[in-house]
Amino acid sequence: MAGAPGVGPGAGGGGGAAAGLKTYFKTPEGRYKLQYEKAHSAVLHYSHGGKTVSQLTVAYLKEKPASQGSQPSTPSASSGMRSAAARLLGTGNGSKALSFGGGNGASRAVAGSSRVGGGLGTPTGLGGSQGGTNYDGKGTYIVFNAADTLFISDLNSQEKDPLKSIHFSNSNPLCHAFDPEAKEGHDLIIGMGSGDVYSMSLRQQLQDPGRKPVAALHYNKGDKDVSPNGSRCTSVAWVPEREGIFVVSHSDGNLYVYDKNKDGNTDCTFPAVKDQSQFMVAHAKSSKSNPVARWHICQGSINAISFSPDGAYLATVGRDGYLRVFDFSKEQLIFGGRSYYGALLCCTWSSDGKYLLTGGEDDLVQVWGMDDRKIVAWGEGHNSWVSGVAFDSYWSPPSSDGNGENVYRFGSVGQDTQLLLWDLALDEIVVPLRHPSSASPTFSSGSPSTHWDNACPPTGVLQPSPRMRDVPKLSPLVAHRVHADPLSGMVFTSESILTICREGLIKIWVRPEQSENNQQSNSSEFALGPASKDRAITSSNKASSSSFKKLPPVLVT
Amino acid sequence: MVMGASGSKLEKALGDQFPEGERYFGLENFGNTCYCNSVLQALYFCIPFREQLLEYYANNKTPGDVEENLLTCLADLFMQISQAKKKTGVIAPKRFVQRVKKQNELFRSYMHQDAHEFLNFLLNELVDILEKESSAAKDSPQSSSPEKAPNGPVQPLANGVKKEPPVTLVHKNFQGILTNETRCLRCETVTARDETFLDLSVDIEQNSSITSCLKNFCSTETLNAEDKFFCDKCCSLQEAQKRMKIKKAPHILVIHLKRFKYIEQLGRYKKLSYRVVFPMELKLSNTSDDVDTEYSLFAVVVHVGSGPNHGHYVSLVKSHNHWLFFDDENVEMVEEQTLQTFFGSSHEYSGNTDHGYILFYEGLGGKS
Repeated sequence: MAGAPGVGPGAGGGGGAAAGLKTYFKTPEGRYKLQYEKAHSAVLHYSHGGKTVSQLTVAYLKEKPASQGSQPSTPSASSGMRSAAARLLGTGNGSKALSFGGGNGASRAVAGSSRVGGGLGTPTGLGGSQGGTNYDGKGTYIVFNAADTLFISDLNSQEKDPLKSIHFSNSNPLCHAFDPEAKEGHDLIIGMGSGDVYSMSLRQQLQDPGRKPVAALHYNKGDKDVSPNGSRCTSVAWVPEREGIFVVSHSDGNLYVYDKNKDGNTDCTFPAVKDQSQFMVAHAKSSKSNPVARWHICQGSINAISFSPDGAYLATVGRDGYLRVFDFSKEQLIFGGRSYYGALLCCTWSSDGKYLLTGGEDDLVQVWGMDDRKIVAWGEGHNSWVSGVAFDSYWSPPSSDGNGENVYRFGSVGQDTQLLLWDLALDEIVVPLRHPSSASPTFSSGSPSTHWDNACPPTGVLQPSPRMRDVPKLSPLVAHRVHADPLSGMVFTSESILTICREGLIKIWVRPEQSENNQQSNSSEFALGPASKDRAITSSNKASSSSFKKLPPVLVT
Repeated sequence: MVMGASGSKLEKALGDQFPEGERYFGLENFGNTCYCNSVLQALYFCIPFREQLLEYYANNKTPGDVEENLLTCLADLFMQISQAKKKTGVIAPKRFVQRVKKQNELFRSYMHQDAHEFLNFLLNELVDILEKESSAAKDSPQSSSPEKAPNGPVQPLANGVKKEPPVTLVHKNFQGILTNETRCLRCETVTARDETFLDLSVDIEQNSSITSCLKNFCSTETLNAEDKFFCDKCCSLQEAQKRMKIKKAPHILVIHLKRFKYIEQLGRYKKLSYRVVFPMELKLSNTSDDVDTEYSLFAVVVHVGSGPNHGHYVSLVKSHNHWLFFDDENVEMVEEQTLQTFFGSSHEYSGNTDHGYILFYEGLGGKS
């Protein structure tokens, strides 16, 4: 097996935190340079002893619309109602934090209503009083968690410390997601160790000088079936193209669908899960209930979830080592497959929705094909568990290759403190031949007894884990030790790669083009929207990087 | 002496889920005998080994004529636990500890001992006893307890000169076979030598995983410069490549993390607190089978402390889908996620000193 090509080998014998770490790494496109670091000072003194794992969310705030409450499309009656409710819930009582402890939704609604009569001028007044703040306009922000605090930093600022700290007293924030498509009200959701979820407005948090969450809404699953000590949130996600709907996964194998415009503290009961390994969807009986549905996905923890860019499909990875891909609207399993061994820890989609990446406890990165509904390749290169995977939708292969349509760039980070970059050239992947008469071993992992072969598996089947020799192998283009601590996530942005370690230190690696152009593009940062905009940016990247010759990826079969 | 006071909390924690016929007993510490207690708990919850040992002991035990040895003391202790009237409690392994100290002067002092050395000593001692008893049974055909035929074919060793030892229950559970391959880079001749093992000792690196440590264990090493290989075919010293392969995977895979490293400058051993993650499931490729062997983690012996000569050992054990924490006399239930706190430290001067030291994986019946 080919070993991972190393750039800047790690310092021997551990120890010396920053001694062996380089501030750049090379790719065929040029050098990625360490531009900024973001962290809260207290975090780096290991005050919380690694009880929580820091996660990273990039949030793009668009320019505030000139006319308050204007909407791009003509709202229907119900949509108007929901928008009005969202406005009240989102902006009411902005000067002080809402109570967290109570489930007193009715009282809150009354309070909200009471502002209707005397509050016609409230939005304008609030806007006027806050006009002088620095963070009312557009910008790109980094949201990350450490211990009992959520931090917000400015991506483009040289300041290392965060702009904002939000302290949670009753539980630790574990995961978070930002909705760039949110038209009204709350756009940031935070999943807690207690199993609760909070939603809030990112803009409002930035405008408020305090350390407590501002105008946050509280959601709890209210499920009596859950074990008494609760079940921690593992992943949260907004549903693309479904305004106001978000999904929360838990360590007990359950996933809940919430509507941000409904009261989050209703008591709703779902039927007991009799078979922990059986997939089951239950809907709330009352139309007022929130969550509106519970999906029981698997036995053991759901470790991460990810929606396809169009919101049609939901991918989950779990403690049992399975990737599962569901049709979200139909609530059906499309396909799934198992890791080589161990749990899967992370998953993501390509921006065209054709491929998925997963990573986990076998130190491998798995590439899955959505059309064929099966494994495409395994990436070998990490020396520990893979904790984050991402496609680089801003990268395109150099035009001189002629393979432009079928080459993807993706990255992975692991607990080995390494960032790996990979090129996925689909035309060059050789699927190994299998002898049709070979005996099929009996699978004891509880999955259906299906023989893994080159044929396209039927819909709704979970594939067992393949043998090591049967899957094509990828080798990384770049392997770079970027942190002293094990890594927990990574994000590609138009100008940089962001990496975060479990302790909460974030590093921003600026792309080669930006560093060569004296970072003039920073001043022209703008909100990124649908895929078509991504395509435009990709085209410009292609033009600027045409002078580089791409090295062919190393394939080991 | 069986003390039943402590442990009622554990029964309440488990409630209806307390497994039928199972016993959870702490072991008393007689002064730095935690290296012994933690290994004993791990072996006790190696169900195939426990069952085969108790069965062998029941079949071969004749009152009065069998001399006491480490095997009888271990079997007595296991029987004491498994046949206790109460479900939880504390047992004093006095007889077993005395037997250990009597047979090995290394363990006679009251100093802190290495759990891996004890495990190796215990398993090899059991092998010696079982082989002697097997030979004695063969030499006297009138014996009332006939020797059972070993299950399955006996693995022939590469060199046929050595006498073939009988397959004991220790070998059935713990033994695997490694192949040392050396390839001369001039004439491309491959020389292979087989080697049996009861556990694998692997070097560790900071921020790595058991998977990568095992890969390094089997990685290719080049012999060149002053370390050339004498090739029989070339009749001279040549450059060569040497590698280790797993020829036969054991049913119980025991992995020893080499956390104690000798530092020449200091003249003593130092503990490596490296963070080495280990998964709940594992797979090993082996050369003789077409399929990979799949394993499930069932026990971890944890070293607590900053150095090899002072510290403490505890063990975590999986029993019927829940995890138990054994700290000498104390037994409590823990979440599976707790095992991640024993991976080690990313920083050399972290306050965390609890590190996984010996991992026990059981092979799953089917192979994927």
